[in-house]
Amino acid sequence: MSDEQNHNVSRRQFLTYTLTGVGGFMAAGIILPMARFAIDPVLQAETEGDMKAVTDVSELTENPQRFDFSYEQVDAWVTSEVTETAFIYRSGEEIVALSNTCTHLGCKVSWGSSSDHPNQFYCPCHGGRYEKDGTNIEGTPPTEPLHRYVVEVREGTVYVGKAEPQV
Amino acid sequence: MRWSTEDIPSFVKERQYVDTALLPLLPVEFGDGIRQSAAMTEFITIMTAELERQFRGRILLAPSYTYLAADGANTPQTEELNRWIETMKKEKLKHIILLTADSSWKKIEYELDAFLVWMPLVPLENLDAAYKKQVISEQIKQLLPVVMDKWKEEGKS
Ligand code: FES
Repeated sequence: MSDEQNHNVSRRQFLTYTLTGVGGFMAAGIILPMARFAIDPVLQAETEGDMKAVTDVSELTENPQRFDFSYEQVDAWVTSEVTETAFIYRSGEEIVALSNTCTHLGCKVSWGSSSDHPNQFYCPCHGGRYEKDGTNIEGTPPTEPLHRYVVEVREGTVYVGKAEPQV
Repeated sequence: MRWSTEDIPSFVKERQYVDTALLPLLPVEFGDGIRQSAAMTEFITIMTAELERQFRGRILLAPSYTYLAADGANTPQTEELNRWIETMKKEKLKHIILLTADSSWKKIEYELDAFLVWMPLVPLENLDAAYKKQVISEQIKQLLPVVMDKWKEEGKS
């Protein structure tokens, strides 16, 4: 047999390949939905409790500092990387992590960026302000405190989970 | 706020707070300039999306204004674009920010009744993901104060 012949796929081989291929594909189609059905609740619980590593505990001070963290988000058929920012600081024994999303209409706030109010969070869009603990300041547009992340510390690393309303 | 069925209802509801429109200007070329045209589209789309994310409570990100790139000595036509601007202003979007990587607008900036921000194109295509992110965030950091200053100007006048 010549080399060339060796590389040629015979008709029978071709059919075998394709048929297995199609068969395999169909089987996968049938099995997958069932597997999903069986596994889903577990998976869901895992995503909900999904904590993302953000920084070392030793990096934290009494002053809110910004930390970015990213994760993948699946939205219909598009998977995209989302970056979120949290302001994290120590308050005695506690670690506080606040979302930087203004509760008014969703612009990004930052700590101490208004020279008139150095010890507050400030929103550049409509002048919304918040205390260090996230409490919205009366007379500014936001009507609810900044959301607060669930925080966990494992072996010196700070993890954050979901940001939850403080009211 | 984005031009989406999810965001537009809040735009309609909160109009008194959303006084700024962000309009990406994207030149289109099908010949030699096609690569450049694609690169500009990508770059400006990322920039405007990020600006929207930072300032979504006050900015409406309009659908991009696309036009055939002006060749050589020609400058782009301002008539149609000015009609867009006028229409947005009528709808109480008093700050119109045009963001583009196409330098040909620079020459006729004075003919536009809006605030033109030109950014030199940063080619992102060969950067790895982490570096790309860094480059983008550097660019955004320069862009944020430009927008905020625009808002402050109004406070003074
Ligand atoms: S979005 Fe922050 S004050 Fe309006």
